Amino acid sequence: MDFTWDLEQQTFRSTVRAFLDAHLPPDWESLAHGPGSATQSHFSKKFCAELARAGLLVPHWPKRWGGRDADPWTAFILAEEMWEAGEPRGGQYMNVNWIGPTLMRFGTEEQQAHYIPPMARGETIWCQGFSEPEAGSDLASLRTRAERQGSSYRINGQKIWTSYAGHADTCFLLARTSPGKGGISIFLVPMDTPGIIVREIPSLIGEGDIHEVFFDNLEVPESTMLGAEGQAWEIARTSLSLERVGIPRFALAGKMLQRAVGILMGAGRFGHGAIEQAARALAACEAARFYSYSIVDQRRHGLATGPEASAARFATVMAERLVGEFVVEQVPEALSGGDAMLLAHHQRAIVAGIASGAAEIQLNLIATELLRLPREPR
Amino acid sequence: MDFKLTPDQDDLVSAIDKLAQQFELKPTEFRGFALAGHELEKELEDGEYFGVAQVPELGPLCAAMAVERLARLPYTSEIALSMLVLPQLQGEWSRPLALIENGRPGRYVAAARTILVIEGDGMGIVQPMAGEVNAAESLFAYPMGTLRAGVRVTPLARAEAANIRKWLRVALAAETSGLLQAAVASAVDHLTQRKQFGRPLGTFQALRHRMAECAVLAGGVHWLALKAAGTALDGDAALAAMHAQESATRVVYDLHQMLGAMGMTLEHPLHLWTYRLKALLSELGGRGGQAQSIAQLCFGAKPPK
Repeated sequence: MDFTWDLEQQTFRSTVRAFLDAHLPPDWESLAHGPGSATQSHFSKKFCAELARAGLLVPHWPKRWGGRDADPWTAFILAEEMWEAGEPRGGQYMNVNWIGPTLMRFGTEEQQAHYIPPMARGETIWCQGFSEPEAGSDLASLRTRAERQGSSYRINGQKIWTSYAGHADTCFLLARTSPGKGGISIFLVPMDTPGIIVREIPSLIGEGDIHEVFFDNLEVPESTMLGAEGQAWEIARTSLSLERVGIPRFALAGKMLQRAVGILMGAGRFGHGAIEQAARALAACEAARFYSYSIVDQRRHGLATGPEASAARFATVMAERLVGEFVVEQVPEALSGGDAMLLAHHQRAIVAGIASGAAEIQLNLIATELLRLPREPR
Repeated sequence: MDFKLTPDQDDLVSAIDKLAQQFELKPTEFRGFALAGHELEKELEDGEYFGVAQVPELGPLCAAMAVERLARLPYTSEIALSMLVLPQLQGEWSRPLALIENGRPGRYVAAARTILVIEGDGMGIVQPMAGEVNAAESLFAYPMGTLRAGVRVTPLARAEAANIRKWLRVALAAETSGLLQAAVASAVDHLTQRKQFGRPLGTFQALRHRMAECAVLAGGVHWLALKAAGTALDGDAALAAMHAQESATRVVYDLHQMLGAMGMTLEHPLHLWTYRLKALLSELGGRGGQAQSIAQLCFGAKPPK
């Protein structure tokens, strides 16, 4: 057991930092608002293309798909640095973390050839069509229907809270092909297909982040289906397990905590109350960091990640909350035009316990699978 | 960064685990506060486990793993300070090692052959003579004791005191980690077996979620304790101690709520872990003390005048 970074890991982190220094524009902090906004979506395509050319977009992917088979630590160091910098990859972090790897595992050769190379070049934005008005945490109750009509499917329904939909090229869409949990299938749907309407939902998170997406008699060929009919639950579980420790939120939270403390110290306002609150929050960030590292290490050693990934996710949610509360209580001016990056972080942290599966769902998983408590009656 | 145990670390963890298994159960007739593990202590001495930190292939990280594992037992002995702090003292000192802070009763003081004495910002050391220490009755599930006022203490140099303070924090975090794990497991057993309203308590979401949060806190303490032992950095030690005391404050309350009246009895073992945790909450200045150190070590604040 070793808690230090080896030379290769240190060098890689330095390389990523140098890239960020060289490629983020001087006004990046004000751009970092609204990762789904037009400005940032446009920027992310330029940035990710440069990242790809430098070999820093998908280093952990197989060589066949533009990577160099780097280990999970490389992917996580990259994710830490990107998130800490305000995630200049925008929505493309999803391609890198889970959409690409999911297609590599479950996609047809045709799907892989069509979708993976543009991801590896940093040219494409995806959105995930999971949640619906009546199916949030209870995802298995989703109602969007896909009815087979010969060699195609006709899709009708509505998705909601869909991030990045306003500028996405493709949707990773879950739709019902028959009743029950085993009746859900995945379709890879180009967002310019006639019958798709996207409506932005103004939100606290920032411009262009969440949307309603309507599917009105959308007709797609059967070749758009990922995996077999009814395989969505199995595929989505794989994808979500990759995403559970996908965003290193503790990294930006810790950096913003340091920034907020710096403001307080500069103003002579870092007194006893603030010190205790900041120390508590920093300890929580570090606990979340090493919890998450333990999951990355399991991946590195080829071990299946179990409910500990949910525990790592919940630790991260707690850390985000403590940092958020610290900023609101001690540096409230940040939310009123005082500091663009503290504001952007606050907005992103709002979704920490909600996106990618509510924190309470993680607690259920921990209770059942980690603590082995008896299940709740249904 | 690699969390896989080396073969040497793996062997040590297995050996400690095997040793610990002999002491896993509380004697059914025990109804006291502190369950002293004299046989456990003898086994550790015979196996030369108190010197683990000084073995180059093992080091303080393995010592912290051992402290954590042994803290899960219902029996208690002076292990953490001997394994993690004693090797850091300059000169020859004997175990058991205890700590007195600002004149308050301390753990294992009555049996200690060496005592660290913290008074304000200063730290000293003493080998107590007969009559200079006394056992103190306590609700805490450790044997507590006092040091007679006015005993002559040899001051430690500032640098050595700072180093000892760091390892005291690591020891506190590692011990807290084991105690939290054992206390959580004890409450999980209760929630699995105890039925109310016709079903196990563990099926009620209100309790399941609180237990899951306790488990997450315990897991965080585990990682920060090991990290601090592994890096030996002052800031890491302060963060580990902070998270340990912060988490223990919350978890102890929640677990006693889970156990209801059963947790108030001396028959049930829960108090053996929770009342050790309570004893640790005030050590090294408590959360406020850790926070002041974190402010300087991690945020770059100037020391208070």
